[in-house]
Amino acid sequence: MTSGTLFSSRKSESSAAPGWGRRFSLTLRQLYSKPASAVGSTIVILFLFLALFGPILAPYGANEQIFSDARRPPSSAHLLGTDNLGRDVFSRVVLGASEILLIAGSGTLIAVLFGTIIGLISGYKGGWLDETLMRFFDSLLALPALLLALLLLGIMGPSKSSVLIVLVLVYTPIIARVVRSVVLSVKTKGFVEASRLQGESLSWIMFREILPSVMPALTVEAALRFSYAIFLVASLGFLGVGIQPPSPNWGLMVKEARVHISQTPWALYAPAIAISILVIGVNLMADGLKRVLQSTSSD
Amino acid sequence: MRNKHKIHRRVLVLVILLVTALILIACGGAATPEPTQAPLEPEQTEEAQIPEETAAAPIEPENTREGVLRVAMQPIVQTDPAFISSDSEVLVANHVYDYLVDVDPDSIAIPRLASEWTTSDDGKIYVFNLAEGVTFHDGSPLTAEDVVWTFNRLRDPALELPTSSLYSNILDIQATGDLEVTFTLETPNPFFLYDLSDNHALILKAGTEDADTNFNGTGPFKVVEYLPEDRIVLEANEAYFVKGQPSLAGLEIIFFNDETASVDALRGGQVDVVMRMATSLFSSLQDEPGIITSDIPTNGFDLVRLRSDREPGNDPRVIQALKLATDRDAVFELVQQGYGAVGNDTPIGPLYSQYYASDLEPPARDVDAARQLLSEAGYADGLDLVLHTPDTGGRPDLAVVLKDQWAEAGVNVEVSVEPESVYYGDDGWLEVDLGITGWGSRPYPQFYLDVMLVCEAKWNESHFCDTEFDELAMMAGTTLNEDERVEAYRQIQQLLIDRGPVIIPYYFAQFGAISDQFEGFELKAFAGRTDFREVTLAQ
Repeated sequence: MTSGTLFSSRKSESSAAPGWGRRFSLTLRQLYSKPASAVGSTIVILFLFLALFGPILAPYGANEQIFSDARRPPSSAHLLGTDNLGRDVFSRVVLGASEILLIAGSGTLIAVLFGTIIGLISGYKGGWLDETLMRFFDSLLALPALLLALLLLGIMGPSKSSVLIVLVLVYTPIIARVVRSVVLSVKTKGFVEASRLQGESLSWIMFREILPSVMPALTVEAALRFSYAIFLVASLGFLGVGIQPPSPNWGLMVKEARVHISQTPWALYAPAIAISILVIGVNLMADGLKRVLQSTSSD
Repeated sequence: MRNKHKIHRRVLVLVILLVTALILIACGGAATPEPTQAPLEPEQTEEAQIPEETAAAPIEPENTREGVLRVAMQPIVQTDPAFISSDSEVLVANHVYDYLVDVDPDSIAIPRLASEWTTSDDGKIYVFNLAEGVTFHDGSPLTAEDVVWTFNRLRDPALELPTSSLYSNILDIQATGDLEVTFTLETPNPFFLYDLSDNHALILKAGTEDADTNFNGTGPFKVVEYLPEDRIVLEANEAYFVKGQPSLAGLEIIFFNDETASVDALRGGQVDVVMRMATSLFSSLQDEPGIITSDIPTNGFDLVRLRSDREPGNDPRVIQALKLATDRDAVFELVQQGYGAVGNDTPIGPLYSQYYASDLEPPARDVDAARQLLSEAGYADGLDLVLHTPDTGGRPDLAVVLKDQWAEAGVNVEVSVEPESVYYGDDGWLEVDLGITGWGSRPYPQFYLDVMLVCEAKWNESHFCDTEFDELAMMAGTTLNEDERVEAYRQIQQLLIDRGPVIIPYYFAQFGAISDQFEGFELKAFAGRTDFREVTLAQ
């Protein structure tokens, strides 16, 4: 723990602002020290770049149908060919990046936010609140994520916001459990006891004293959840219960192209490969983060 | 030999014991033991006799039925023939039950349970003679009463069946003999034979109350097992009244929710027949060894309709704007890949050659005119619509293509794709404002008008109510003068192009594929009416 003693915790807080930037570049440098995590990080950065500049990079619109160019193989005019409706596959894959990253990313972020708050309170307060929340989460976790998602989408009906809600509902319990387990091991430590005796407020103790210790585990967990979220969004699109056509959701694109595989296989492979690369990339990066953060936290 | 005889005798004794036991059970349990007794005895003794005979001398083979045909189809929801609608529901019913009159691939009415019929000169009285020796699967014989009861049920207004408006013209149905039925019509109906061959008009046993579960038909196959959402297993009806039919020993209809999966199953040999599939799936099967493909043109179409009884469809300018915003040629090329024909917004397609007005065409695409009409209707700032579509065939593609085309005219479409069995399963499809419906091919166009477009139609999904249209449709459906009918249909086509609530962008082709292990497969334009009675195992 960086803040192992009574007073250093406050000192590190006060220098937090400049420390973040340095810590980020340090983490990044450490990520690039191992080939696997370097590849992972590069992939993630590349896709983030695609998501940000997709509208500039994509030569055609996501649902722009060029009727004379339908079912064309890859060429210089259409880098990855066109699908059965004459839509440029390259443009759709590029434009799909922002959508999948945005939904999976914001879903994960909100889940992390809720999960952290619930995990902190539940772990720190303990007692019946902890029992009730955790047993409820246990019951949710007993169901496979996809099954729960299908059930929820069946109730809410397919739309982007439903998918987002599903991600939050599916991943909040997992994040909460991870956070809670760290809180349980930290809350009896000296520095927490000390600030309690000092009469600090509950929120101060939870968010200023305990949360920094939770951060490494939380970051790794969030990165892992992010990769699962990408996969879940794509899976729901593929099953046709999530995001609706003509959205360039990669899973949905695979579903649509599957029917036409004999005629336009490129329309199937491009989004499928994009999903695989991104999920692998995020996973490699998460592994790297775990290594980096655990080594810094054990310093 | 002696041993064999002993065994046979033992089997015979066992069978007799079994029959006696069954009779005793029947006598004890049922109030009317007579009909239950009758079917059991001959059937059981026959079974016992067959080995005896073959042991004596190899006489002509009694049972040449061989092969089980496995057909991939959408899951069925309705099993009561009066309520069926999807291809798969009709396919199952068409093999378990029989129609009074059938229709051949050339759209000609042919005998089925009715062996012959006569029509009075004024076109109001039809007398049908039923085939002899027809029995239901429970063994009881088919009588004229069963036919009378079935059609009375189908036309009973109290039951609110889809057929009640179709048969509202029937004044009276009488059993005028054991095997003779007389229909009296209120007004002459030139299509009456086709109406009698409506998908729902399968003959049930008089008094049937649990038509959705008892499957007591006269048809070529009997239900062995129905596993909802999985499959329905049928075996040949040995007592079928047409000699030599069915040729197959069994028929299995295996339910697939996914067309690609069913085509994969055909490739992998898990099923033998796939019907009704997306165009690209069909073209992918063209060069597949061991699979015979067939495609036939149909009168069927995908229908895009806007409810005309409430906003925004109650302003006819809105649907006209949507029509103007639609690029039919592009839709046809993209969604149908050139199979079928470009549509004219009327259900009277080019295959109805005598009625189709080839010179009438909807106005060409004009996005500016569409915008103009929309702003006149009060949607100058754009119009938001949800387009509902079942997830089968080219319909999701059609929705996506229309979304793109209409966007240019300021119409913002949100596509909602729903599983077909869900979409048609309850009445949601009749409620939504904007939806796509696939309509199967029918032998004459009057059907579509009567069932979907006249004010009182059961499936009036667009909630269209136009007095002039209703009068024209009525005229076309009743006149015995063919020239008058041609003229009425012409006016109907013009009217629908001018102010009809529907867009019919194309008429499709029907696709089917069968394993080369079988022969005699004849695909029907309405896939559900495809008849497997004459399909045989390839030699």
